[in-house]
Amino acid sequence: MWRCLTTCLCCTRMALTVCTIAVSAGCSSAYRHLRPTGGDVTCVQQFKPRLGSALYKTEVDVVGKHLSGLLVLKLMPDSSTRVVFTSEMGLTFFDFEFARDGAFTVHRIIEQMDKKAVIKTLRKDFGLVLLEHTAGGRVLTDGVNRYYAFPQEKGTNYYITDSSCAHLIRVEKAGRKPVVIAQMLHYQEGVPDSVHIDHQLFHFTITLKKLEQ
Amino acid sequence: MHKVFMLLCCILTIGARAQYAGYTLMADSGPFKTQFATMAQKNTSLRCDFVQEKNLSVLSEKITSRGKFWFRRPDNVRMEYTQPFQYLMILANNHVFIRDGQKENSVSTKSSKLFAQINQLVVDCVRGTAVNNPDFSVRVFEGGQTWLVELTPVAKNLKDLFQTVTVLLEKKDFTPARIKMLEPSGDNTVITFSNKEQNVALPDNLFVLH
Repeated sequence: MWRCLTTCLCCTRMALTVCTIAVSAGCSSAYRHLRPTGGDVTCVQQFKPRLGSALYKTEVDVVGKHLSGLLVLKLMPDSSTRVVFTSEMGLTFFDFEFARDGAFTVHRIIEQMDKKAVIKTLRKDFGLVLLEHTAGGRVLTDGVNRYYAFPQEKGTNYYITDSSCAHLIRVEKAGRKPVVIAQMLHYQEGVPDSVHIDHQLFHFTITLKKLEQ
Repeated sequence: MHKVFMLLCCILTIGARAQYAGYTLMADSGPFKTQFATMAQKNTSLRCDFVQEKNLSVLSEKITSRGKFWFRRPDNVRMEYTQPFQYLMILANNHVFIRDGQKENSVSTKSSKLFAQINQLVVDCVRGTAVNNPDFSVRVFEGGQTWLVELTPVAKNLKDLFQTVTVLLEKKDFTPARIKMLEPSGDNTVITFSNKEQNVALPDNLFVLH
């Protein structure tokens, strides 16, 4: 399963390189039609999960392979956020920490998953839904919805809302085209009931469904 | 003085490792193993409920799940989680069958050594051969109502996953009362069995995904 994910991620890097070459040769950006508009860029902070502690049933699908488990998201007393993924039978797969200052720590990861590409991808995916690195952004519009754009080390994270910033429609991690599309649905008490993360360049999805204990 | 202090520390550390409150280490576990194997032969099947608690030590979080457990000799296990999620795992014929919501999955324990070892651990804990599993070093402790079997992984891949696995066995019938899996991080998972029924007829279809 995890060997499969690592292989896929390596292939994806090659695909991205090819795409970059193609883009230089004339591909247009999927975001070229967006225009700057007025608005408060901090408005998307309302969609940052307001965690005490949340437990999610989690399914991961990678090119035909399926893995499931339980994911705990918890805001710690030092304002860091811990993301812990375990099997249903209790075995811890990984334990990540997103610190308030943006630092990222791997506290534990099983050997089968301990690959740079896997960790980097999971870090970016969970960082996207936890609204990490959402400073220094700008507000754009396509005439209908608002795109809150936050430049990252590579590419941009777009938080797309309706025109009044009342509803989060979807989140996109992109270069010139979306690489990852995430949906965070049915917020209850500041926490989404379900989260879906879908990679666009290869079949890799993460689905979270909140559990009540 | 420094050497004496270090020696004392070592003795205390070794002593601490050996301690389980209310239990005494068996110097010779031979008679226990013989009795265990004899009783386990008589236990052809087991049906019970279970409560599983996963304790995340640093997070001070506990994940509690519940379900039903079936075992039939020689090595068929069905573990069905019913709360707070639905998840079914069947161990049979050297395969692990999993149903997770609408999705079904099958893994050969022959192709996955880790699955095979964990599979073997669960089966061994129930059928009474845990003390002979070469993947673990074993110590046996005697308590008032239960035996405590401490399994320490020998194989590196298991050492990465578990620090120790302790199994509490009822003295009266040698059925498992509790399994505790302690991870190197300090997290642990405790599975407690209740409402046990032994030697009941369990149909074949319990151990097949439909």
